[in-house]
Amino acid sequence: MDDKELDELFTDPAHQEVVDLLKTSRPATPPLDPNFRLHLRAQLMAEARKTLVPRASRSWFPFNFTPSVLAPAMAAVAAGFIVVLGIEVYLANQPTAAPVAFDVSKLNNKSNVATGEPIEIPFSGPVDKAAVEIQIEPATSFTQQWVGQTLVIVPDHQLAPNTTYTVTVKPRATLATPNPSNPNSPKPAVAPTPAVVHFTTVRAPIPPVVPPSFRSAGVTYGFDSRLGDSGKLKILNAVWTSAGQLLVTRPGGQAGPAAVPSPSATATASGSAAGTDVWLMSPIGTPVRLVGPGDNFPTAAPMGGLFSAWRQQGTQANLEVRDLQGNLVSTAATLDGVPDRAAVWIGSDRLAYVDNGALRIVGLHAPLEAPALKVDHDGSLAASPNGQFLAVQSTTGSVVLDLTPGPTQRLLDGASGFTWSAKGDLAFTIQRDTGTELYLLTGGKTSKIASSPGSQTWSDLNWAPDAASLLFAARPTAGNSSASVLMLINRDGSNPLRFGPQREYSAPQWSPGGDLVLFTRRDEAGGNAFWTATSAPSGNDAAEKQALAEVEKFMQARIHGDNSTAQDELDDAGRAAYQAGASSLFSPAGTQFARYYPVTVQLTGSNPNKFLVGVRIFLAKSGVETSFFEEQLSLTLQAQRYLVDGVKASDTTALGHGPTVVSVQVLPAPPGQQVRVRFDADLKAESVTNSTIQVKDANGELVAARVSFDPDKHLATVTIRLRPGTYQLVVTSGVTDINGTPLAQEYTAPLIIGR
Amino acid sequence: MPDRFEERELVERAKLDPDAFGALYDRYFPQIYRFAYSRVRDQSLAEDVTSEVFFKALKNIKRYTYSGHPFSSWLYQITLNAVADHYRGAAGKEVELEEGASLPSTEPTVVDEVVRRDRSRRVWSAIDQLPKQQRAAMVLKFGEDRKIEEIAQILGKSSGAVKLLLHRGIERLRRELPPEFELGTP
Repeated sequence: MDDKELDELFTDPAHQEVVDLLKTSRPATPPLDPNFRLHLRAQLMAEARKTLVPRASRSWFPFNFTPSVLAPAMAAVAAGFIVVLGIEVYLANQPTAAPVAFDVSKLNNKSNVATGEPIEIPFSGPVDKAAVEIQIEPATSFTQQWVGQTLVIVPDHQLAPNTTYTVTVKPRATLATPNPSNPNSPKPAVAPTPAVVHFTTVRAPIPPVVPPSFRSAGVTYGFDSRLGDSGKLKILNAVWTSAGQLLVTRPGGQAGPAAVPSPSATATASGSAAGTDVWLMSPIGTPVRLVGPGDNFPTAAPMGGLFSAWRQQGTQANLEVRDLQGNLVSTAATLDGVPDRAAVWIGSDRLAYVDNGALRIVGLHAPLEAPALKVDHDGSLAASPNGQFLAVQSTTGSVVLDLTPGPTQRLLDGASGFTWSAKGDLAFTIQRDTGTELYLLTGGKTSKIASSPGSQTWSDLNWAPDAASLLFAARPTAGNSSASVLMLINRDGSNPLRFGPQREYSAPQWSPGGDLVLFTRRDEAGGNAFWTATSAPSGNDAAEKQALAEVEKFMQARIHGDNSTAQDELDDAGRAAYQAGASSLFSPAGTQFARYYPVTVQLTGSNPNKFLVGVRIFLAKSGVETSFFEEQLSLTLQAQRYLVDGVKASDTTALGHGPTVVSVQVLPAPPGQQVRVRFDADLKAESVTNSTIQVKDANGELVAARVSFDPDKHLATVTIRLRPGTYQLVVTSGVTDINGTPLAQEYTAPLIIGR
Repeated sequence: MPDRFEERELVERAKLDPDAFGALYDRYFPQIYRFAYSRVRDQSLAEDVTSEVFFKALKNIKRYTYSGHPFSSWLYQITLNAVADHYRGAAGKEVELEEGASLPSTEPTVVDEVVRRDRSRRVWSAIDQLPKQQRAAMVLKFGEDRKIEEIAQILGKSSGAVKLLLHRGIERLRRELPPEFELGTP
């Protein structure tokens, strides 16, 4: 058994001995009566045939009224019948209409719902699609489409994690108005009681402490998933968006969300029947939205929610810029011929591309001047994230252009495979007869950081989002290509490690959040399939995880009313704090602690064994979450365990009264920091400013800061320079959602900047 | 590991198609029975638990929603609950050692048994004596080759907590396996 998780978890040789022993052992095969297995199977199959076969009406709403009796039935509903799993919708405009039901049992009260997946609501029969109205709280903009009898709700942006959403499905009040002069005119339909569905999205990864404990060099390859449903949805190329979704090129006219594998199933009619289409896709391979009909070679802007793609029209190709809803923003360029590569974003407002061997640079609406450089078919081209530099492998040599403008820097002969890190370092390779040399250009200086063995070729460099390491493909120089692997190497060239099992991989791309890696892998048919794999932090942040594990135990004990376990997680000072009323250890009478999640995790500046963990605790009444409050838990390492030694509680905030902050994260961004504040709702971008999101010092004085907003991620980023110390983040009720509803109340959170 | 998408498709079909459910049973019976047996150490009880697991799975499969983890995680969770239910009904017969209690492997009768078994049986016998949560984590990791993230989901704990359980389990085995065990020899 080869298990990197174990290798990283157990580094002590004494432990490794036991682990190795277990790896080579297996528990004894348990005694098994073969007749039992067969007998149980027979019993199960008999039961399955009774219970699994769909029945005409039972699996949906049990009533089946004709129009003449619909009104009294709905009156009964309105009188108090609580519909939980199904609702009748009147079929307007159909003379023989019968009500149909929709099934929300898959969604209602579910937790761990993915944030990037469409919401599907299947109906039991034909429905007047215009008569169905959807509302989502917290405020969420979305589009809806129909795939057969399934309503597919596609949020415009990914849902927020850790959030309970309420989806209301009801008939729209569009039925015929009676004509008083005509007694035979249709009577107004009685609107049924709306069905309200609650679901809670997945927990977000715990934000790292400052300094960030996450080190990409220490991650391990986790679960992998093939995009495109086992190859049924063919994918030609794929790139990440800045929000962590995928832009993929698929053969034209393929099906979208909720499509069943039937020749007639298509998501929309706008997909091109031939050629290719560009789709927005979830990280696990669900097509979300057709965003570029007829397009190919998409590439996402580093921020701002735009992407570019080529659209072939006859003998010419247009470089189109669209938003992630698929709206055309501009046609930035046109070239003769057929493009064979994606354009390259330079910042978020310019693009570089190759036009029949010549380098071109364009703005979103006009061409810009570019140096006269010839670039081969496979010549590398890459722009720094801030848009200042463009690395070009031209036919006359490789250079880094300073587009500010500034002096051009010539790179070593043969430099290729460019990739820029988030911090502005350029990595590249030079292929030699003796193998591949890996170089780093940082601060204007070039240094060789590593060389491959002579038997290997390194390529497909890709920086981790924290700029601490690089992924690349290592292929044997000759012979069996199936031996090629992905490798992970530190930014200084140290510690090259294999990433993932021994399979053929190429083209790794780290997701913006660092939690997934996209790559291609050789499939059984000899082609390349796109996969994603989770990348899990290794034991480097064991202290943070240990502290959070104690918080988990403490909070679960409180949620379940287990006083002795909860008390066991407190030291004397912690117990005293709760007894003194700093917060309530258990839920007040008439309410329950429904759930919790960590909002912030910070390392207390002066003590490496002390964490401040902000937790949000949800209060429910009769099973429905009604409010939340936050606690700042102070944890200190005592006798090899983290114990809670202090607590401060916030006021209680009612749910359903405007957007809320779901997480706060402090990241180093030399020479200062970034404070990332994520919300649960789609916000009015103009309400997110440095007046509504502030940082105050210990004296309550405002600290100068720049605030930017990414609507795709509901994310406000405060760029700031803070000295070590304690500050306060303040989010005012000036922040509003897309409906204009303000934050229910001002939100504050401590910010601790360590040395 | 089965292809995740192929598995999802099979699970979706199994919500309506008895044959697809039968295929799921064929696929997961061995590991669920093995896991059940590892918890109860009694063939008859393991059969009862396994039967309960698959009937519960059949009853609830229409409500199963893919959460990013393998379908087997859900079955393991049902197994753990079924075992817990069984022992609740049987007034806590499950052998449970407190942290810090000694493994019985140094007792003469157990030593006799250990001598009789091969090394693999001995170490797994020692695992059987670990506290409940440690044992579950160790069996899932070393017996079923589950990822830590998946074990965390099955046990309803954080990955960090699972790592801690594994650490404590390994440390305890290291400390308390008998000297004649010759750790490190092939």
